[in-house]
Amino acid sequence: MSASSYPEISFEARMATVEFRIDEDRAHITVDDTICRDCSTRGCITACPANLFVPTAAGGILFNYEQCFECGTCYLVCNREGAITWTYPEGGHGVVFHRS
Amino acid sequence: MLVAACVKLVDLRPQVDRVSGAVTPSATPGCSAADRAAVELALTLADSWSASSAVVCCGPAAADPVLREFAASGAGRLVRLDVDGAPDSSIVGRLLAGVLGDLGADVVVCGDYSTDRGSGSVPAWVADGLGAAQALGLVQVRSEGVGSLRATRRLDGGRRERLVVDAPCVVSVEGSLAELRRAPLAAALAARDLPIEVVDAPGVVVPAPLATRPWVPPTRVQPAPTGSAALERVVELTGALVERTPPRTVELPPRQAAELILEQLRTWGYLDADDSTPGGTAAT
Amino acid sequence: MSDFDVVVVGAGPAGSAAAIELARAGRSVCLLERGPSPGSKNMYGGVVYGRILDTLVPAWWEQVPVQRWVTRRSTMLIHDEQALTVDFRNPGWGAAPFNGATTFRPDFDAWLAGVAVDAGAVLVCSTTATGLIREGGRVVGVRTDRPDGDLRAPVVIACDGVNSFLAKEAGMYPHTGAENFTVGVKETIALPREVIDERFAVRGDEGVDIEILGCTGDVPGGGFVYTNATSVAVGLVLSLPALAAGPDRPEELLRRLKAHPAVAPLVEGGEVLEYSAHVIPEAGYRMMPELVGDGILVAGDAAAMCLAAGIWLEGVNFAIGSGAAAGRAATRALARGDASAAGLAAYREMLESGFVLADHRRLRDAPHLVMGDLAQRGLPAVACGVMEDLFTVRNPEPKQGVRRIVRNRMRRNGIRVRDAVREGLRAVRTFG
Ligand SMILES: Cc1cc2nc3c(=O)[nH]c(=O)nc-3n(C[C@H](O)[C@H](O)[C@H](O)COP(=O)(O)OP(=O)(O)OC[C@H]3O[C@@H](n4cnc5c(N)ncnc54)[C@H](O)[C@@H]3O)c2cc1C
Ligand code: SF4
Ligand code: SF4
Repeated sequence: MSASSYPEISFEARMATVEFRIDEDRAHITVDDTICRDCSTRGCITACPANLFVPTAAGGILFNYEQCFECGTCYLVCNREGAITWTYPEGGHGVVFHRS
Repeated sequence: MLVAACVKLVDLRPQVDRVSGAVTPSATPGCSAADRAAVELALTLADSWSASSAVVCCGPAAADPVLREFAASGAGRLVRLDVDGAPDSSIVGRLLAGVLGDLGADVVVCGDYSTDRGSGSVPAWVADGLGAAQALGLVQVRSEGVGSLRATRRLDGGRRERLVVDAPCVVSVEGSLAELRRAPLAAALAARDLPIEVVDAPGVVVPAPLATRPWVPPTRVQPAPTGSAALERVVELTGALVERTPPRTVELPPRQAAELILEQLRTWGYLDADDSTPGGTAAT
Repeated sequence: MSDFDVVVVGAGPAGSAAAIELARAGRSVCLLERGPSPGSKNMYGGVVYGRILDTLVPAWWEQVPVQRWVTRRSTMLIHDEQALTVDFRNPGWGAAPFNGATTFRPDFDAWLAGVAVDAGAVLVCSTTATGLIREGGRVVGVRTDRPDGDLRAPVVIACDGVNSFLAKEAGMYPHTGAENFTVGVKETIALPREVIDERFAVRGDEGVDIEILGCTGDVPGGGFVYTNATSVAVGLVLSLPALAAGPDRPEELLRRLKAHPAVAPLVEGGEVLEYSAHVIPEAGYRMMPELVGDGILVAGDAAAMCLAAGIWLEGVNFAIGSGAAAGRAATRALARGDASAAGLAAYREMLESGFVLADHRRLRDAPHLVMGDLAQRGLPAVACGVMEDLFTVRNPEPKQGVRRIVRNRMRRNGIRVRDAVREGLRAVRTFG
C-alpha cells in the first residue's frame, strides 16, 4: 500500500464517515439567532467540531442540528444566556460511533 | 383480521472499501427503514381495524432482539423462520407465504426492498404464494375501512399511481412512509425476554454468497486501426465518421410501442422472427 | 412504588461498573442508556487501563474486546518542525495481567454492559433520562423520553458523562465554566496490520501509545496517537476558551499535527474510518461536584473524575473505580434502608480511601500546570533547542557545555530561570 493512497479529506467527507440517526421531528439543539446578532465573541463558530454554526451575512448564526456529535462544546463556550437551547436527542437518535 | 409485517435482518452499516470494493460486515445488525415503516403501518392498520398484528422474519437467531423491539412497540405475535444465510428471494417468499398462510394473515406489509442488494421481489413472491393481490413500492397508504387500502405508488418521471387494494393483499412500502412508534418504557422492559415463535425451515438450500469484485467494464477485442496517419487512426477508433442508423424517437400508444420494440428486437436478432418471447430458443 | 432498587443512568464504564456491583449484590437495577447500544455515544483517545477490573471481572483480559496491548509508551515534545521523544518499552505489559489496552468504546462499553446484564441488571437502550423525579427534595427516580417513561427507585446513580444534566439538575454541579473543559477530536485511520507493525516497530498484538505536547498551536492542549489492530487513532485535546477565541478550527489543528514531520510517517496514507469528538472534564479535583445527595450519587465523568494531566489521560479506569464504589455504597444504604445523603455517605469515604480521590487530590494542580504557558510552549521549545545544539556538530567550533546551551535556549525563548524553577518545583510537588 502506497503512502499517499488516501489524501487529506474535505470536511464534508470527514463528516460523512460518521453515522447520524437523524430525528426528523425534533432539533435537539436550537439557536436563537436574535441573541447571536449582538454576540461579539462567537466562540461557537470556531469551536464546534462539527462546524454547525455558520455566520450569516446579516450578522446572525445559521445552525443545523443534524450532524452533531452531542459533545456540549457549543453551550459551554457560549456565554449569552438563552442563545443555545441544548438537549440530548431522543433516545436511539443522533450520533452513533463505531470505531472510536 | 390479522395484519402482518415481514422484516429482514440486515447489516445496517457494512464497510465497503472504495478502492477494492471488498465488503466488511459491521457489528450493527437491524432492520432497514423500509422494514420499520412496514411494521409501523401494520400496527397502525391493526389499531384502526381493531385487528391483531404479527411480525414475521426469515432469518437467524440474531434477529430476535430486533423482533422484540417491535413487540415493545405493540406487535402482537413474533414469528421467526429459522434460516441462516441468504436463500434466493423466491425461496424466502415461499417460506414466508407458508407461515403467513398458517397465521391467517389478511394483509401483509413488507419493506420495499432490503438494503443488502435486495431486488424487492420477496413481497411479490409472498403475494404469489398466498394468491393475494399485490401493490409494491408504496409511498402512502390510508385505510378505506376494514381490510381495504388506498395507496399511492411512485412511478417513473415523478408520476404517481393511486390504487385501491383489498384483503387478501401484500403491499410493500418505502422507508419514508412512516417512522416506527416509540415503545413505552414498561413495554420496552417487558419485551426484553419475550419468547419468539421459531418455525423450522428444513431443507432450505442456501447458495454460497456471491463473490464480490470491483466492477470492471467488460473488454472487447478491437482490431487495430489501419490508417497511415495518426489522425486517420484516431477517427477510425472513435468511429466518428462511420455511417450509422440515427436513433429514433417515436411516440405511440402502449400497445403499438410494445409491438415496435418487439419488431426492433427481431431486426437486431434478439428475437426469432416468429417468436414473441425473448431468448430466441424458447420454442424448443 | 419503586420499579427498581436503583436506576443507573448511562451505560458507560461508570454506569456498567455500578450496575455490576448492585446486580451481584442481588439488587434490582435498571441501566439506562440513550444510545442504541452501550458505547455508541462514546469516544475517547484509545487506551483502557484494565487493572481496576481485576476484582470486578477476574481474568478480564481473556474477555475484553482488545485491539492491541500497549507495550510501548512515548511522550513527544514538538516545537516547530522538531520533535523530542522519550520512548519507553516494556514487553512485560504485553502479558497477563497486562497494563493498557487499545479498544473501541462501542466494543468495550457494550462488553462491560454485557457483564452487568449477565449479572442480572436490566439494560434499556435508546432511552434518554430527561430529568429527576423528586419528592420533598429527595430524588426518587428519573423521567425518560419514552411514553409513560417515569422510572422510580430509592437510589439514582448519575453516570451520564461529562455534560451530566442530572447532577446539574440536582444542583450538585457548580463548575460549568468553559475553562474547566477541553474537547477531544480524533480520526480513526485504517492501515494494514503489517504497515502499523512496521511503522511503530511492534509485533503481534503489541501496541503503542504516544502523548504529544506542543502540537496545538495557540490553543493549550495536547495530542495523541494510538495503534489499534488495523487502524491508528490520531487526535487532539483542546482547551475550550482558547479554541473559541479562534482563529483555528479543530480539524485544521488536527491536519497540522498529521502533517508534522514526526507524525506524518506514522499516520499518513490510510482511509479515515471515522471522525469523532467529545468533551473532557479537564480540571479534575478542582471542578468536582458534590458526589452524594438525598437518593442520588454521581460517578465517572459526570463527577469530573477523568484524570487529564498531560502525560496521563485516564478516565475509563476512574469511571469504573468510582462507579463500582457508588454501586457498593448504594447496596449498603439499601440494606440499611437509608438512601438519604447520610445513608449514602460511604461513597465518598470509599473514593477517599481508594485511588480515585487519592490520585485526584495529589494531581489537583496538574491540569493547570500542563495547560500553562511553560509546559505548552517553553518546555517543548527549550527541549528541542537543547537537543539541536547538543547534537549539531559545528566543527571547527568546539562543543558547548550543556548548562550553557540550556541557559541560552531558555533566554532565547524568554523563560526566566526563576519562573522555570518555580514551575519546576510545583511540578515536583504535584507529580513527585
Ligand atoms: C478525546 C478523549 C480521549 C480520552 N482518552 C482516554 C484514554 O485514552 N484512556 C482513558 O481511560 N480515558 C480517556 N478519556 C476519558 C474517558 O473517555 C472518560 O473519562 C470515560 O468515558 C468516563 O466514563 P463515564 O462512564 O463516566 O462516562 P461516559 O463514558 O461518557 O458514559 C456516559 C454514558 O451515559 C449516557 N448518557 C448520558 N446522558 C444520558 C441520559 N440523559 N440518559 C441516558 N443515558 C445517558 C451516554 O450515552 C454514555 O453512554 C478520554 C476522553 C476523551 C474525550
Ligand atoms: S451561539 Fe453563543 S457564542 Fe455563538 S454566536 Fe450565538 S451567542 Fe455567540
Ligand atoms: S454539541 Fe458539539 S457538535 Fe453539536 S453543535 Fe454543539 S459543539 Fe457542535
